[in-house]
Amino acid sequence: MTVRSFEEVELGDDLPNETADVSMAQVKKFCKAAKHEFERFIDHEHARKEGFAGAIVPGIMSQGILTAMIHRWAPGATITKIDTVFRGTLLVDSEVTVSGAVTDTDDDSRVVEIDLTVVGEDGRTGVIGTALVAFPA
Amino acid sequence: MSEAAAPVDVSGARDEWVGVEFDWTTFEMDSESMIAWAEACGETDPRFTDADHPDFQAQPNFTTHCMSGRVFPKEFPQFGSGFGIDGGKTVEAHAPIRAGDRLAGVTTIADIFDKTGRSGTMIFIVQRMKFTNQNDELVSTVDWKMIKKA
Repeated sequence: MTVRSFEEVELGDDLPNETADVSMAQVKKFCKAAKHEFERFIDHEHARKEGFAGAIVPGIMSQGILTAMIHRWAPGATITKIDTVFRGTLLVDSEVTVSGAVTDTDDDSRVVEIDLTVVGEDGRTGVIGTALVAFPA
Repeated sequence: MSEAAAPVDVSGARDEWVGVEFDWTTFEMDSESMIAWAEACGETDPRFTDADHPDFQAQPNFTTHCMSGRVFPKEFPQFGSGFGIDGGKTVEAHAPIRAGDRLAGVTTIADIFDKTGRSGTMIFIVQRMKFTNQNDELVSTVDWKMIKKA
């Protein structure tokens, strides 16, 4: 479900859950664009030598994935703030689920607040956060 | 026998360092990187993936990859050991970032505080980068929270 205006948003609404593409090809593409081509992100073997279970998804890529989810939910709206806490590692080439829920709405500013979560395939939470999303008048 | 760690003076460090500018770096925004970033994140909104879109701009957190020349100021106290853990990032998007923009990033220490939990006391150091474009318009503020064991 997408929302086209502030009036369509209800407190407690869930954004549609999505499975993010964190394949090695996608992470390599991100790291090249971000100039963050560190081996822990793009080389499973190297990441294991650093003590990880495999290559890990960059935290700022998780933030970008959450951003994309919000844009799909509310086309035309503007994210004015996104705050993410990196709680744990998310593995490249694993299944990662992103979700969000509306926790506040402000009629005057037409801004909604969303709680955000990224969960790994082992069920552990990798990223939590919040975003402020402004709707046009 | 190992040397005892010096006591951590978080309050003193906060008084001395919060608000002090210590790095100035410029960044060129190019459409190729902006689109590749957005596509890699699964972005489907053409505002962020189509350079021909009339409102084409970078994803709001695009500036999180712009690193200052220094992580900490010269003479900044060493808390704990090593680089620490990346605790997360907060981005405020003040205005769209367009292809061809030249951003000036100014870095400060925004906060220093500690928290004590089951695993002991952790020091939180918040590095803030403010980005203005070639028109002196503030476009983005990024807070990067680094966590170190005391």
